[in-house]
Amino acid sequence: MSDGDNSGRRLWLGPSAAWLALLVLFAASLGSAYLPLGAGSVALNLAIAAVMLAVLTTFLMDLRNSAVITRIVAAAGLLWMIIMFSLTFADYLSRSY
Amino acid sequence: MTDLAGALREPWPDLRMQREGVGLGMWFFLASEVLFFGALICAYAVYRSFNAEAFRIAGEHSEIVYGSANTVLLLTSSLTMTIALRAATVRWRALTLACLAITAALGIAFLVCKGLEYREDLREHLFPGPNFPLSPPAAQMFWGFYWIMTGIHALHLTAGIGVVLVVFVLFERRVIPVQGATMEGVAIYWHFVDSVWIVLFPLLYLAGRS
Repeated sequence: MSDGDNSGRRLWLGPSAAWLALLVLFAASLGSAYLPLGAGSVALNLAIAAVMLAVLTTFLMDLRNSAVITRIVAAAGLLWMIIMFSLTFADYLSRSY
Repeated sequence: MTDLAGALREPWPDLRMQREGVGLGMWFFLASEVLFFGALICAYAVYRSFNAEAFRIAGEHSEIVYGSANTVLLLTSSLTMTIALRAATVRWRALTLACLAITAALGIAFLVCKGLEYREDLREHLFPGPNFPLSPPAAQMFWGFYWIMTGIHALHLTAGIGVVLVVFVLFERRVIPVQGATMEGVAIYWHFVDSVWIVLFPLLYLAGRS
């Protein structure tokens, strides 16, 4: 019985810690949005969102324990998105109007 | 043994590799989904960079209480989905079923919340077109993105809830065993829908709060 309890606790412990971290990050993001940070506000909110995504993918989507090939595919999605943003903004931000 | 034989499919030699295969396939699909949502977010970023003030004014009018409640609902559903997956892996059938049911309920609660929020938005005529109440005109672009992004996200969530309910019934009737690779794909997709919301929330709800 105590074995069952232990395995139950193990099952919940890691994901619950990740969930709590996500809630704390969310609260920080929400709270900071009301501070007069100007343009820094959106940067901070997006930085917190990036950390939240890292926590979610690493611990809840379990990329931490995934096969290398799976991590490469996940990273490929991110890489293509970075290329899309870089090329788009290289165009718009370098226009003379 | 029969349970294991039912869970294992061709061509996999064992369940671990089968789960890895399903996970890899789902990640391939998600990489294409990242680009789908990425294109929308990129367009949003371009327009916002050229109309910062209009997006700030428009962003003040999104319903922060509904948005925040929905964030907590989805983050919690990711927790219950992870527990469902872990319980399925160790063949803890009752816990798997319970967590799947809670996950679907949290997803439905999100959609109900979203519906109430949409009603408030429409009451304030926050839909691009005639009678749009905010100026400058570029504020309509923010609300155009709001409806498209949240609408497509809600469609993805609806699909996720449908899949979770179908899998719940299949597990409950013992059509497929819980420890097979099914939960792997379902869980990864569900977390992806959550991760999209994590990005949409600051873009649509936190602009113009300070």
